[in-house]
Amino acid sequence: MQIEVRMMMSRMWRVGLLSGLTLAAAPAHAFIAYVSNEKSNTVSVIDTESWTVTKTIKVGQRPRGIDFTRDGKFVMVAVGDDDTIQMIDAKTQSVVDSLPSGPDPELFAQDAAGKILYVANENDNTVTVIDLEKRARLGDIQVGVEPEGMTISPDGKTLINTSETTNMAHFIDTSSRQIVANVLVDARPRFAEFKHDASELWVSSEIGGTVSVIDPGKHEVIGKVNFEIPGLRKEAIQPVGIGMTKDDKTAFVALGPANRVAVVDTASRKVTKYLLVGQRVWHMAFTPDEKYLLTTNGVSNDVSVIDVAAQKVIKTIQVGELPWGITIAP
Amino acid sequence: MKVRVLAMAALLLAVASTAARAADPRYPDWPCTQAKVPEISLAAVWAGPALDDVQNKWKDDAKVSALVTKLSARKTPLDEAERSVKEFLAGSAADKTANAKLLFAGLFDTLNAQRAQVMNGLERVSRKQREAADKIREESIQLQALQGATPPDEAKVEALSNELIWKTRIFEDRHNVVRFVCEVPTTIDQRLFALGRVIQQEME
Repeated sequence: MQIEVRMMMSRMWRVGLLSGLTLAAAPAHAFIAYVSNEKSNTVSVIDTESWTVTKTIKVGQRPRGIDFTRDGKFVMVAVGDDDTIQMIDAKTQSVVDSLPSGPDPELFAQDAAGKILYVANENDNTVTVIDLEKRARLGDIQVGVEPEGMTISPDGKTLINTSETTNMAHFIDTSSRQIVANVLVDARPRFAEFKHDASELWVSSEIGGTVSVIDPGKHEVIGKVNFEIPGLRKEAIQPVGIGMTKDDKTAFVALGPANRVAVVDTASRKVTKYLLVGQRVWHMAFTPDEKYLLTTNGVSNDVSVIDVAAQKVIKTIQVGELPWGITIAP
Repeated sequence: MKVRVLAMAALLLAVASTAARAADPRYPDWPCTQAKVPEISLAAVWAGPALDDVQNKWKDDAKVSALVTKLSARKTPLDEAERSVKEFLAGSAADKTANAKLLFAGLFDTLNAQRAQVMNGLERVSRKQREAADKIREESIQLQALQGATPPDEAKVEALSNELIWKTRIFEDRHNVVRFVCEVPTTIDQRLFALGRVIQQEME
């Protein structure tokens, strides 16, 4: 019953939006993307209706990992050279607080409830555990040298941390905070992403030039995605960011200086299409309706907008210098 | 004064020897922290139709080659260059695809050549700097010897000190210019990619 009412309301809301009746309230529900610009020390705010930058927020030094809190009220951004994570109030779009990470935080992951944050600190080989409600440090987990990619299994029980130097994906039990398994992948694993049904874990290797598909139960590599672009040297193909559609049928993989995003059929693990986006593409985020996928292009200093259904790049938005991460309001 | 000269020379040599330790053993003279990519590959910037049939033909088209010259110039702001591309292709009507291919082929050749020239220049300066560092090292040893002699020849010490000051200053200035010029190949990459992207969008 309650669900029905909510669905009805949501439908009414959408109809209202379409007919323009609630136009005054509409901007609050247009999607808002936040992009961290590593070199200009700013965060660009993008409105996904007008596809323009509506605000540029000054943040700490070397902003990289960026994510919304689950309630959509704050944007967290790791400012590595200031050894902290800053909190941006999504309403006022200004920095209001900071979180106690370890030295040089690069990337972080939060549990499904949005209560616990796990931060990869590039400089001291640890993952810092932070209580997001109290904004207090709970402890540290010792991991491999130079922790890099971070993700949490959909059930919240396993934290995955990839290490640039050991070339492994470390499986960490979130309750005991102990490493329970290490899976060897190709050189310099940068990013890890679970399928929504938790059946597979995908890990990109920047130097190896592949994506390893891991069975998270058996802790075994069960397949690999390979990339080949005619006319490009293999070294130029450097997989980093991975985006998986909610139905788990299609994956998008950012290929760095190949300036392309690969569209991968997850069943066959084969690339079906390469999309030319911007220079040195690294990270990406879907709009919540999954109509669009936005990518950060570090060298061309812009964000590309991909129409997910059409598998086509439809827009480019100039942001700050060296755009790194991106997050979109839930 | 003499102490300062020596200290400066020592500092310099430290800088010079770091520069000499090239990150990529294939390019020992490459002085930049940015990785050296000898040339831009076509596939990194172009996903449009094959350009095999246009090759050097862009040079024969007066309009295209004039536009290539204008768009390749660093003094033409990028947004102005992008506007010019759109205007040119909008006015091309039936020849749009052909003109787009010609224009991109021209930009690709020209900007790649411009980039190679800048990189060669950087390596040339880097070699000169290494020679200058050797010279400074030699002369500062000589200066030390002169100062250690009893009695020291004040006139000679003075002359050599002055020479060292000049050499160090030139070395430092060059060092700063190199750091600045190291950004140029990337700026050219950005221009080629941005213009290529506009051309491809206009073709669709």
